[in-house]
Amino acid sequence: MSRPKAVSKPGARVSTRRSAATRPAVVGVLLTAGLLASIAAAVTIGSADLSVPDVIGSIAAHLGIGQSPLDTLRDGIVWELRLPRILTAACVGAGLALSGAVMQALTRNQLADPYLLGLSSGASLGAVSVLLLGVAVLLPVAAFAGALAALAVTLGLAGALGRITPTRTVLAGVAVSSLAGAITSFVIFWSVTGDSYRQILGWLLGSLSGARWPAVAIAGIALLVVGVPIALSGRVLDAFAFGDTTASSLGVPVQAVRWVLLGGTALLTGAMVSVSGAIGFVGLVLPHAVRLLTGPGHRALLPLAALVGAVFLVWADTLARSLFDPRELPVGIVTALIGAPVFALLLARRRSEA
Amino acid sequence: MRRLAVASLALLVLAGCSAPAPAATPSADGAVTVTNCGTPVTFETAPERVVTIKSTSTEMLLALGLGDRIVGTAFQDGPVPEEWAADAEGVLEISDFMPSEEAVLDLEPDLVYAGWESAFSADAAGERTELAALGVASYVQPAACRSADVPGKLGFDEIFREIGEVASIFRVDGSALIADQQQRLAAITPDDRGLTALWYSSGTDTPYVGAGIGAPELVMETAGFTNVFADIDQTWASAGWESIVEADPDLIILIDADWNTAQSKRDMLENDPVLSQLTAVKNDAYIVLPFAAGEAGVRSVPAVESVLGQLKDLRVE
Repeated sequence: MSRPKAVSKPGARVSTRRSAATRPAVVGVLLTAGLLASIAAAVTIGSADLSVPDVIGSIAAHLGIGQSPLDTLRDGIVWELRLPRILTAACVGAGLALSGAVMQALTRNQLADPYLLGLSSGASLGAVSVLLLGVAVLLPVAAFAGALAALAVTLGLAGALGRITPTRTVLAGVAVSSLAGAITSFVIFWSVTGDSYRQILGWLLGSLSGARWPAVAIAGIALLVVGVPIALSGRVLDAFAFGDTTASSLGVPVQAVRWVLLGGTALLTGAMVSVSGAIGFVGLVLPHAVRLLTGPGHRALLPLAALVGAVFLVWADTLARSLFDPRELPVGIVTALIGAPVFALLLARRRSEA
Repeated sequence: MRRLAVASLALLVLAGCSAPAPAATPSADGAVTVTNCGTPVTFETAPERVVTIKSTSTEMLLALGLGDRIVGTAFQDGPVPEEWAADAEGVLEISDFMPSEEAVLDLEPDLVYAGWESAFSADAAGERTELAALGVASYVQPAACRSADVPGKLGFDEIFREIGEVASIFRVDGSALIADQQQRLAAITPDDRGLTALWYSSGTDTPYVGAGIGAPELVMETAGFTNVFADIDQTWASAGWESIVEADPDLIILIDADWNTAQSKRDMLENDPVLSQLTAVKNDAYIVLPFAAGEAGVRSVPAVESVLGQLKDLRVE
């Protein structure tokens, strides 16, 4: 808790850094343990009244240990409904928090989030085409295609204006988001009949209620293949923090790195959005919350943000499905509802310490 | 300008002619005042030009033999039942969606009769006060009131009362229709096997289901079923699949609409690893109802008859 004071004394900075280098490792181990514990706890919570030993027995049976103590339907509740949904929540939370942290670094914009480059609006347009216009494609495929199309247009627009700079990219993203958002609204407004708006509303707010094993596969593979390398790129991002010129002089190929990281983050976000809809708050605010605790260095920030994101979304979704049982809320409502006050508390704490 | 002047003149002449008429018959056909969703509405005379929004209002008028008063319909849930098809033929359909105020006013109605209260807002058919200022009365199917006079748990008494209220507004005798519905209701023998049922309207990730106090509950209850979501104090609710799997209903009532067919929901249930294991899905124990049957009105009694008719052919334990 002496860190904020140390920042004001330049001489003390080196020693603080060194002690902070061991701390993130400890925090990381604790968070990993916390994530596993959260997943284990969340799988025992739900509207169906299942005992903890039965839930453990059911999961063990699917992993090849013993016989499930539950009948087919209750076994299905644990293995086909709860567990894939919780694992998807963990992957999506990790992916969004990580993407948000990287986007904020790449664009040097505090308000950057994973959806900044038009990704969520593009994905929404893809989803609306399937849900309302009856385009015969699987929803995640359409959403992913929409997200990538929006990204391509954003980068194309930014590139057409000259060198790709943070400001140009952000502004191009704003333009593409608005356009895709307008088309989405038009489609909804034009074609919603009866109660069909509910499905699309749930998707636009972000919901994990449809997450089954295919969703785990999509989010999990994206996180492993794209997310892990990004989470390990903290050293490069630290160089970016000083501006393009300084980064170049430190030997970082600025344009190439920006392209690769932007593309990677977009792929990761696109995959997450395709299974969960546009869940807000996680990617925008969690990186800030973690930064308040770890300091600005990206080597610690990226992996820790991913872990915090995973734990956060697991619990947010558990609340979304159990708080008003048997009714359900879109998780996107819960993330902001819990997240905003928690974040305000963190900000207030930092102010009183500084 | 000239046309307007002529029209005004015509109105003056008409007013001049018709003004003495009510004075001649002051009590025989007095004004009818109802409090509708908290808004008092007075009908000096029976409405002659009615715009109906949602199927419940259209079908109420058709059932009362007032089809000739409808000058336009909007936002219909689907085709009207066979018995009224001939009366509904040729009625102008303003819009498949919520109509705009201008499109409604263009038909010069003296009453806008809506099945949903949300029809009366600035971005739909217009605010009720604004319509009233223009001399257009507004009426919401009372069971659908949400801003005031929110009904409690729906019963057939309320539906019959509403038939009577609409009949009195139009100065027609609703007793024959009410008697017919009461008779049909009395003739219904509820299923006595203690079956549980799910009313599945729409949605794949988070299903939208019939809950504990509205028309879906009334239909299921009257048919002798126990609604698995009877405890939720709402007409409809977004439920989680987990609670449905746990309840494992004996029957699933699928709502069929153009935009969300019963078949699409059936395909989804049968292709899902868990939902395909539900007793009702394994037994093909589906009952299909049109969307309009899920709203309280003259279709509610026929909905129960339809449910029990379909039940005969189903295999349930």
